[in-house]
Amino acid sequence: MKTKTLAAALALTTALSVTACGGGEAKGTGDTITMMVRLFGTAPSPDGELQKAVEALIGKKLSITWVPDAGYNDKANVTLASNNLPDVMVVDEKSPSFVKTAEAGAFWDLTGKLDKYPNLKPLDPQTARNSMVNGKTYGIYRTRPLLRSAISIRKDWLAKVGLPAPQSVPDLYRIANAFTEQDPDGDGKKDTYGLIIPKWTGKYATASPYDVFETWFGAPNGWGLRDGRYVPGFDTPEFLAAERELKKWVGEGLVNPDFATLDTGHWMDPFVQGKGGIIIDVDVRATALYDRFREKNPKDADKVLMVGNLRRADGQKFSSPFTGYNNVLAVSKQRVRTEAQLDELLRVLDKLEGKEGSILLTNGIEGRNFKLEGGYSVPIGLDDPKVKVLQNDVDNAFIQLGTRYSVNGGYYPLKPADEAKRALIEQRKPMETEDLKTAVFNPALGVIAPTAVAQGPTLDKIIPDARVKYLSGEIDEAGLQAEIRRWYAGGGSKITQEINDFLK
Amino acid sequence: MATELAPRQAPVESPPAPPARRIWRHGWLYLMVLPGLAYFLIFRYWPMYGLTIAFKDYLPFLGYSGSPWVGLKHFEELLTGPDFARIMVNTLILALLTLLFVFPAPIVVAVLLNEVRHSVLKRSVQSLIYIPHFLSWTIVASLTYVLFSVDYGVIAQAIHAVVGGRPVDYVAQEAWFRPIIVLQSLWKQTGWGTIVYLAALAGVDTQLYEAARVDGAGRWRQFWHITLPGIRPALVVMAVLTSGQLLDTGFEQIWLMTTSLNRSVADVFDTYVYQVGITQGGYSYATAVGLFKAVIGVLLIFGTNWLAKRLGERGLY
Repeated sequence: MKTKTLAAALALTTALSVTACGGGEAKGTGDTITMMVRLFGTAPSPDGELQKAVEALIGKKLSITWVPDAGYNDKANVTLASNNLPDVMVVDEKSPSFVKTAEAGAFWDLTGKLDKYPNLKPLDPQTARNSMVNGKTYGIYRTRPLLRSAISIRKDWLAKVGLPAPQSVPDLYRIANAFTEQDPDGDGKKDTYGLIIPKWTGKYATASPYDVFETWFGAPNGWGLRDGRYVPGFDTPEFLAAERELKKWVGEGLVNPDFATLDTGHWMDPFVQGKGGIIIDVDVRATALYDRFREKNPKDADKVLMVGNLRRADGQKFSSPFTGYNNVLAVSKQRVRTEAQLDELLRVLDKLEGKEGSILLTNGIEGRNFKLEGGYSVPIGLDDPKVKVLQNDVDNAFIQLGTRYSVNGGYYPLKPADEAKRALIEQRKPMETEDLKTAVFNPALGVIAPTAVAQGPTLDKIIPDARVKYLSGEIDEAGLQAEIRRWYAGGGSKITQEINDFLK
Repeated sequence: MATELAPRQAPVESPPAPPARRIWRHGWLYLMVLPGLAYFLIFRYWPMYGLTIAFKDYLPFLGYSGSPWVGLKHFEELLTGPDFARIMVNTLILALLTLLFVFPAPIVVAVLLNEVRHSVLKRSVQSLIYIPHFLSWTIVASLTYVLFSVDYGVIAQAIHAVVGGRPVDYVAQEAWFRPIIVLQSLWKQTGWGTIVYLAALAGVDTQLYEAARVDGAGRWRQFWHITLPGIRPALVVMAVLTSGQLLDTGFEQIWLMTTSLNRSVADVFDTYVYQVGITQGGYSYATAVGLFKAVIGVLLIFGTNWLAKRLGERGLY
């Protein structure tokens, strides 16, 4: 009997492992589409009102794996390694693990295939190029503004020190200096600083405050042509000029002393608490800051001034653009095997991203959780717990599936809480249009150099680390140059060659 | 003794039964072993099959068996690569610091606690110091940032007020990385570690102390000749077990305390594997690194155990 039990246990083990390895045999998606999507709050129930409405619209069942945003990239990488891919996956198409998996043939190459579908075909050619991987389109990009860099400044402090809104980097320096030296919070103590920079864990050229600052000085955004060859942005005199200037700021105490460690989650705290007065980030940061002030005191919330990109000292202007999208929806080949099945799935997605679908994904159900008022959506029925759930499902989950309309406004923009906020929101579009005229695009955004994929993770860290070390005074300019040489020696030269070969 | 010297007479039991019969006879015992056995087979041994990808260029799409075999390529890359020396040195230094400060700390505290005669005081101190064990590293790291931040850290500002000079950024700077890590480990793990030693101390026969006192031995003598030999077996077992985990510097703690400024001393095997394997998708290479670390861990266990036996202790096995 014991031996039988042992045999049963062993059989069970084998069965488990077999199921673990052989998930991908089912053909076609049938009636259910599996998805993996970012989540920003509580996961929607599969029987939720919104999911049912979406399913009714597209005529398919959805089985969605909602993964909290904080761990999304890790989970995506593990999923890519698991051989158990969802049909549709929100994914960073430039991450090494996705590139490797896609190039091995696990995802559909959608290059040229999307034009048939009116709601999936790329609207903006620059963004379409940005979202490519070495000339191939692996997914439907999720639209974001093409430029959204902006500076948020404490409006009340600015009035106190009697300075106008900045136009140039020297203007901003004067403001940072006044915020530090002239006691803008009026408590009689020298306990404030100008610029607030957080610990940035991203790579070089990922729209960090440093990257934006360097662009203003005329440094290339990521990669740029110098003497007929593409060079990395940090190997230019403009980059060094920007770092020198920023180091001066740090040295004079105009930057928060914990800029190497301040958690990005607490980026806004010093601004709201009245310790610092300038944040170089994106336009939605200004409204987020405004909301924080409004939470504290709705009567006295108008403390955020938003300005666009700045000119450098000689009057020339270079603006830092965004990629125009954030992640793509990629289609895996695990269950979608044939062109016909792909067409079927894309037609479903086309429906989902159309007008009706977009409203469901980004606003919800009209007459249930919102009503229309002069083109704005106005929330209704907030006392009803069911409506609350519906609103949560929209804001924290399904909106992430939108590609044409998404978190930057929704199909119908939300009616602003008051005039000051409306002004901040309405300032975005003209600012974007104006700064796009001087935008410095990254020509290599669609290129993934093979060496960058194969190389160890330490290469990506060299430049961002060296930058912080230089600013904090751990290394001098010679040391910074040495780090740049170390990047070249550690694989950077090969990457430069590959980028040049590709862009030629 | 006497029984051994006595001539072998008819044994109490019949000669060893065939295995099947023996299993049948102790059936219940074998049945009780099964869940444990299944656990090890399913969760410990079966996954080791995955280690084969350390010798392949694993691509998920091609599967375990479909990926091309590359032999020791990844190990060569690791040992000759630019990162290896730094990671090995960082890991070893942290391991040595752990061995030097974190390992003996619970012993010292346990012995001190054992000397406390006031039992309420003893028990409340014991409970208080092992509470940090239940906090996650995320919380410990956040607390560290709050207390030591150059901008608003209470402790950092207190030190600055006393010592003067330029404010020191304890949480960011290279020089302070290792002391902070050791301090965190001490704060979090010491109390928990004392439990084992207190149990060992409780097992020491109190009559020995009484006898020693009668013979005129002071506190120090009692500690040296009774307490220490009393807990030595526990000490040796803990030492052997710790040695196997020496290279496990722990992922969360290090990862959470890494900044741009201290990365050159903070990169260790555990964080490296995460970066290569999870964020870069270098599954095979990361597995090779992990396997390499595990092999060193096994060697260390064997080595320490051998040493323990040479020194006349019983060792782990």
